Amino acid sequence: MLRLQLNFKSGKPVYLQVVDQVKAAAASGVIRPGEPLPSIRPLAEELRVNRNTVAKAYAELESQGIIETFAGKGCFVRANHSPFRKAIRIELLTERVDEAVVQAHHLQVGRAEFLRLAEDRFDAFQHQRDRTPR
Amino acid sequence: MNSETPVVEIERLVRRYGRRDAVDGLNLRVRPGRCYGFFGRNGAGKTTSIKCLLNLLRPTSGAVRVFGMDPAREEVAVKSRLAYVPDNVAFYPWMSVRDTLDYCASFRARWNQETERALLDQFRLDARQKTSHLSKGQRTQLALITAICPEPELLVLDEPTSGLDPIVRREFIRTVIGAYQDGDPGRRTVFVSTHLISEFEGLIDEFTIIDRGRDVLTLDADAARERYQKIYARFASDPGALDLAGAHVLRREGRDIEIFVNGNSADVMNRLKSRSPETLTSESLTLEEIFVATLEPGEAVA
Repeated sequence: MLRLQLNFKSGKPVYLQVVDQVKAAAASGVIRPGEPLPSIRPLAEELRVNRNTVAKAYAELESQGIIETFAGKGCFVRANHSPFRKAIRIELLTERVDEAVVQAHHLQVGRAEFLRLAEDRFDAFQHQRDRTPR
Repeated sequence: MNSETPVVEIERLVRRYGRRDAVDGLNLRVRPGRCYGFFGRNGAGKTTSIKCLLNLLRPTSGAVRVFGMDPAREEVAVKSRLAYVPDNVAFYPWMSVRDTLDYCASFRARWNQETERALLDQFRLDARQKTSHLSKGQRTQLALITAICPEPELLVLDEPTSGLDPIVRREFIRTVIGAYQDGDPGRRTVFVSTHLISEFEGLIDEFTIIDRGRDVLTLDADAARERYQKIYARFASDPGALDLAGAHVLRREGRDIEIFVNGNSADVMNRLKSRSPETLTSESLTLEEIFVATLEPGEAVA
């Protein structure tokens, strides 16, 4: 089940929080290709956010190729949900890694420790994916 | 009306009571499909402004337009497209809930029976009950039903949730999001005046803070949260003099410092980073904190 948590103190636009969390859920297998996303009204009601915010998030997810919409049926996670060429995907990821590296520096987490943590997180997601029954 | 015509447009509005200016040069515009917050303290001029929109009061000077029309000259055309929930709802006490709904529906070109049934059900309102026997919360719920069933393009809410219990307040907001906004989202505009800002945080796209009858801040909600931030840094030892131009120090004790920034967060963060703090974090202010920081800069988010 998709569970989203919004944080108005994060400084990130609310619709982008929805986008990022759906992407994370798709990447970790919490929602799988072909599975439906909640429709806009109940999700907006549950999160107590403007309906337009959810609609905007879904439009963004669709333009990024993460989900697809079938008229009258709703939104579904796409099977091969990265339409980007590898180089562009790496470029997008690099920004995120840079943020984490900077943060590691401030938190005085060294290179080796950081890399070990990255390995651990890969394992954790793999583990979660294996555990979820198919 | 093309889709770019603002649903509400207020220009240099002044409304005087005797010698006192309740509204003193207010400007704002609400685009179609937006959920617009109108925040102010008690007595800031919120209700007076709203009454000018609804032609319940005439402006002393300035202009008010709703759907591009003057509400005084085209009152019927304007009112047929909007609905209003005041802070203190009154119904004819001898009427039942059913009579009240029928009475309100008789003035409307459209009335969604299905929405009416669903909301009566959701609020567990007994249609046979006399309105004089309803609680304050139930009167507000009934007012919301009478506002939503005609499917208006503009829903004007004046302090709709003050004095209600938390359950009724949550249900109220859920209904505005669900039953109201679901209809035709591009043409469902909400204009809500409130000082209970945190409840409406997720709902608000854009807002104006009114103080002493004037708009003191108008911003997109996401942009506001990006602009107003609190930064916290801890150094290994007292860093001595820091370049904090453009920031407002909230607290500073030895090697800890907490500051408030308005619009230059990245720049201030970079300057702090160059001093290699042990910890450096930032968080946005909520709309309520932004409200406090705007009206009481001294009290800013301590």
